[in-house]
Amino acid sequence: MDKQTEFVLRSIEERDIRFVRLWFTDVLGFLKSVAIAPAELEGAFEEGIGFDGSAIEGFARVHESDMLAWPDASTFQLLPTRSEVSGVARIFCDITMPDGSPSWADPRHVLKRSLAKASDMGFSFYTHPEIEFFLFKAEPQPGALPVPIDNFGYFDHSPHGIGHDFRREAILMLEAMGISVEFSHHEGAPGQQEIDLRYADALTTADNIMTFRAIVKEVALKEGLYASFMPKPFSTAPGSGMHTHLSLFEGDRNAFFDANSQYQLSKVGQSFVAGLLRHAGEITAVLNQWVNSYKRLAGGGEAPAYVCWGHNNRSAMVRVPMYKPGKGNSTRIEVRSLDTACNPYLAFAVLLNAGLKGIEEGYTLPPGAEDDVWSLSAAERRAMGMTALPTSLGEAIRVMEASDLVAETLGEHVFDFFLRNKRAEWEEYRRQVTPFELEKYLPVL
Amino acid sequence: MPMNADGMQRVSSTSSRLLRVGVRNTDLALVLLLQEPLAQVFAGESLEDLDLAADPDHVLSVLADMAAQAPGALAILAHDHGARHRALSVLGASRGLAQHFLRRPEDLALFATDGPWERLSSAAAMRAYLFEGVAAEPLAEPAFARLTGAAARNALRIRYRQLLSCIVAHDVAHGVSFERIAEMLSDLADAVLQTALAIAQAELAPTATACRFAVIAMGKCGGRELNYVSDVDVIFVAEPLAAEDDPTDALRTATGMATNLMSICQDFTDEGTIWQVDAALRPEGKDGALVRTLSSHIGYYERWAETWEFQALLKARPVAGDMALAAAYIDGVMPMVWTATARPDFVSEVQGMRKRVEREIPADQLSREIKLGPGGLRDVEFSVQLLQLVHGRTDPLVRGRGTLEALAALADHGYVGREDAAVMASSYRFERTLEHRIQLLEMRRTHLLPTDELQLHAIARSLQLRNTEQLDKALRHHTKDVRRIHEKLFYRPLLQAVARLDAGDARLSMEQAVERLRALGYRDPEGAMRHVEALTTGVSRRAAIQRTLLPVLLGWFAETPLPDQGLLGFRRVSDALGATPWYLRLLRDDSAVAERMARILGYSRLATDLLLAAPEAVAMLERLEDLQPRSLEQLLGEFRATAERQSDAAGAVQMLRSLRRRELFRISAGDVLGLTGPVDVCHALSDVTEATLVAAAEAVIRHWEQRRQCPFPTRFVTVAMGRFGGRELSYGSDADVIFVHQALDETADCQGAAIEVASAVTNLLGQPGTEPALLVDADLRPEGRSGPLVRSLEGYAKYYQRWSLSWESQALLRARPFAGDVQLRDDFVRLIDGLRYPAAGLPDAEVREIRRLKARVEAERLPRGADPTLHMKLGRGGLADVEWLVQLLQLQFASSVPALRDLSTLGALAAARDAGLISADQHEVLVHAWLTATHLRNLQMLLTGKSQDQVSTDLTDLRLMAEVLGVPSGAALLDDYRRATRRAHKVFEQLFYGLDADRPDLR
Repeated sequence: MDKQTEFVLRSIEERDIRFVRLWFTDVLGFLKSVAIAPAELEGAFEEGIGFDGSAIEGFARVHESDMLAWPDASTFQLLPTRSEVSGVARIFCDITMPDGSPSWADPRHVLKRSLAKASDMGFSFYTHPEIEFFLFKAEPQPGALPVPIDNFGYFDHSPHGIGHDFRREAILMLEAMGISVEFSHHEGAPGQQEIDLRYADALTTADNIMTFRAIVKEVALKEGLYASFMPKPFSTAPGSGMHTHLSLFEGDRNAFFDANSQYQLSKVGQSFVAGLLRHAGEITAVLNQWVNSYKRLAGGGEAPAYVCWGHNNRSAMVRVPMYKPGKGNSTRIEVRSLDTACNPYLAFAVLLNAGLKGIEEGYTLPPGAEDDVWSLSAAERRAMGMTALPTSLGEAIRVMEASDLVAETLGEHVFDFFLRNKRAEWEEYRRQVTPFELEKYLPVL
Repeated sequence: MPMNADGMQRVSSTSSRLLRVGVRNTDLALVLLLQEPLAQVFAGESLEDLDLAADPDHVLSVLADMAAQAPGALAILAHDHGARHRALSVLGASRGLAQHFLRRPEDLALFATDGPWERLSSAAAMRAYLFEGVAAEPLAEPAFARLTGAAARNALRIRYRQLLSCIVAHDVAHGVSFERIAEMLSDLADAVLQTALAIAQAELAPTATACRFAVIAMGKCGGRELNYVSDVDVIFVAEPLAAEDDPTDALRTATGMATNLMSICQDFTDEGTIWQVDAALRPEGKDGALVRTLSSHIGYYERWAETWEFQALLKARPVAGDMALAAAYIDGVMPMVWTATARPDFVSEVQGMRKRVEREIPADQLSREIKLGPGGLRDVEFSVQLLQLVHGRTDPLVRGRGTLEALAALADHGYVGREDAAVMASSYRFERTLEHRIQLLEMRRTHLLPTDELQLHAIARSLQLRNTEQLDKALRHHTKDVRRIHEKLFYRPLLQAVARLDAGDARLSMEQAVERLRALGYRDPEGAMRHVEALTTGVSRRAAIQRTLLPVLLGWFAETPLPDQGLLGFRRVSDALGATPWYLRLLRDDSAVAERMARILGYSRLATDLLLAAPEAVAMLERLEDLQPRSLEQLLGEFRATAERQSDAAGAVQMLRSLRRRELFRISAGDVLGLTGPVDVCHALSDVTEATLVAAAEAVIRHWEQRRQCPFPTRFVTVAMGRFGGRELSYGSDADVIFVHQALDETADCQGAAIEVASAVTNLLGQPGTEPALLVDADLRPEGRSGPLVRSLEGYAKYYQRWSLSWESQALLRARPFAGDVQLRDDFVRLIDGLRYPAAGLPDAEVREIRRLKARVEAERLPRGADPTLHMKLGRGGLADVEWLVQLLQLQFASSVPALRDLSTLGALAAARDAGLISADQHEVLVHAWLTATHLRNLQMLLTGKSQDQVSTDLTDLRLMAEVLGVPSGAALLDDYRRATRRAHKVFEQLFYGLDADRPDLR
């Protein structure tokens, strides 16, 4: 038994924990939870907890359905949201086959494999997400338009605003769970919130994002509200993205920093960005996995639709933020296309591998875009060599299908399942008649 | 010696004497020997003493140098015979130590008869001598040195080297046993550590908090089996003076003391260094705290220690400081060593580590590596430790620290055989002594046999071997013995457990045997022991031979994924053949046969089943040539001749089936042993099928003629179809054929006769029986099952003229007439060539028809619930995809590109690439997927005996296949397979359906 397992078992005794929730994530990014009694946890550490994998999206077919969930002691946290009397804790799990070999269907394992590859190249990978979401007055009702909690705008201080209280409550809870929150403010759309998580290694961050979504939803419910991570609930207001800052470290040294390069972005950093750009189309289906995701990307403003990078250019897909003198170790790049409704494990894995591919192959960085990309004409963009990101889930699937990079990153099993699932979603969507069509065509046709 | 007046003659006789004692440069030696005091030292008979020196040339030059510095120092060598003896031996064996005497010639006095070398050989004397050097009070506890700083360090180094020289004298001049030398070296190391601690105590800052502090020796020093030059492994433990005190300050003091103690030993000063003190075996290794409290040590081993760390603890021994604390440490941690061995996979983890070490040795050093190479010291140390860990759990008597001590205990208590233990001990002693001599040369930490011929020669001399050939021979002899250590120490004693011997002699009990087999990877050790018992009990010759053989086999089985299956298979073969003299001779005389059999039985279900059906096939394993697939000509010759000797058709086919079974074993055995490649396996299977069908059809016709007393009225030809036609059969495949005939005698019922023959062949080969059946499938004939089994050539011509369907043309692409009338074969080929290679290519309508058909097959033929990404035949990018694509290209282009008229998939693919119909990249992707699927399907059948088209998702099957393919895990194997076929499917869709890459495919 290792140090952490020991700590977990001791804490459970000391804190009077009544339930332990074993958490893991399905291929589409939905959180799965099995509650066990604390007495069972020691056994779970030693032998895993068996479950039927075929019941989980993307995990297994019926004939190979026995799987085991193994709690990762380093992720143990008390859940502060429950009543004070008896505690509840959560712990993330790794999924294995009955013989103990890792399941390649487990998104955590997908990310771990990418991280292992980075580690073989001498890098560790850190991420820092800015998570946007909407707060509505009530749970969604079929046929009714959602009502945001306010009509404030970007950075508006909302005196006595419900959102303000909500953010304070959510942040307190996140901090209580050891998830550091860096920044929080009101975003550009009615009812829209942003909370930034402090940077951490990618696996921890992905776990934190899963926790974050659960906590935010729960706090909202407690306040009688409804929180949603849907990328684009309103046609006319901006959507919710998850701009994510990425950096690679070699030991203690930020591998993206080079005092003598332009924007202080090292050769490694430049190749990493070049990798993200070259493979941007292939990984889009993972970063933006829903039909609705593409409504956000089409909306302009902060959401990118073209494959380009810029220095402090908020319309570019990749932004290289201003370098703050003396802060070499905070050198990072920001990817702006992914949205909050992605599977963070898979999203980080494809981002990392696209960037590493750039480093491995020594891609050179194309010139940056200094203009607002949205304001350029199509001909101008063409002239500058900018290609468009896929404009629909269907297109994104098609580009991903041809990608060896994504197949290798996700593993063939997840790759195949993901594509099948997304094709089905796209087919279903294509058969829908939308309010837009009814409004536009019915009166005139 | 009589003085000769003739100076020249004297010189030449001295010179030949010098040569005789091993001096190489006699001219120089003669000059040196003329000068005093050397002339006096080597006057008269004493010259012969040079023979004691491993390197006499070097000794002479060292002595000459010493004489130049301090002429008086050599006087002792002239008058003290014993001192001369020792000095020559020591200086001759070690250039490294000679350096010490060059600096301090007066130290030659150490070797005086009844001198220090003899007095300073006990642990207490060494300690007292070193303590005296730093003016430490020997009885104080803790001891304080009055000498500190550089002076203390230099004094310690000088006295260490003096004591070391005395030990070398015992070793090379007096032939003291290796065990005693290793003990003395450990005692010296103990004394050094104790003295260093006395210095460190004295150098402690006056403000430091007092604490209890102890040094535990680990590794070879812990085992009291130290080398001349090696790191000394230690662990430090400390406690505050009063148990209830906060240990923080005590630990700070202790850490300072430990650091200082290490540097006192290992720093380079004017007098050099002693050795490195290595504390890396401590909890958490180099990242962990240098010193821990007792409870922190125990806590670590209770919770976090890795398997190998317990193995290391076997050697822990208190050496310096607070002995009560050290004893508490040993009492605290040792019980955990014995519980750790109960961990599942303990042994396999430990063994895996050993294999990794061996793999990391550069290949060119492997044979010179005395410690880590195969048959080297580590093999003995490791095997002994493994046995200690397995059996020490229940038996405290085998928990000793030293390797030889533990080996002796294991033998005394019946865990290993006495003789085997003695052989291992003698090899271990030889190798350790050799290692010592190598290290002595330059006083360097090495366990590589030097390549320098002069050095090798000196080493050989120091071992009382005449030359380097003898050294080489001795080393080979011992490593060969050690390489058999698993057999001797692990497995042979198991036989004792089941042998009915006289009570009284210690031997392995059944429980202990079971425990050992479980540790070595057997899943059902009780069952395995029953087999061992059945195989070895009794007085028969067979039991006697199996008693010799089984220990080796058990080890080989343990290296396969399924040791239990291997052992069971062996027992069944043995039960069937045990009484056969040649079988026993084969196994007894040729260990390669036994090893091959172990591998086959441990890996392949298919080959095992084939072998068990007729165990005499084991004879094939004797010669590798016999495991190569035989050529079609050879097969035909034997199959025909055998069939001809039978009196009726049924008997003939029965014989053919048994010949076929033997050939299937040959192919599968060659496959398991890695002698036959995947494509060659397909060819070989096709050839065997072909020879069987040829001989069977001939036999059936012959007996038809005999019965009717008239010649067979029609020419009869069998045509191979499908993968059989392309010579790409798999283990589990049916033989697809069609039959054609052409009447010779128009008056007879030719059609009836032909059908009679075709049915007889099909039935006789396919009916159930003791020999595996060959299923002959004629469903590809015109009109399928509703059409006649045989048609005449004209019948085929008419049919194809009227009804030809595109799928039939496609099927004919791999039609290959192979048995029967040659003229008819040619005529048939001419007939179908027009169909399968249409001159105008393929009309669009027919291309569409074939595409539609394929799409339907994809949708309908895949079994319910099958995973399309894992179905090797019909799944995505599987065999059917690649083959249909090839066939479409052939139908379209073979008339204009003759090279495309290749019946094999791989041949046609290459032709399509050469003709530019597919790109080199596409070719590579398709070939890779086709080979992957073909190989995996065969491998699955070979290993698991499961003839199925779906890649097995059974975890045991997957692990087995992954291991044979050298893939890290079953999941990785599935990933590789899915990737290869996904890529092939993409190429297939582009080329077959004419989809361009940009069109969305939204199934």
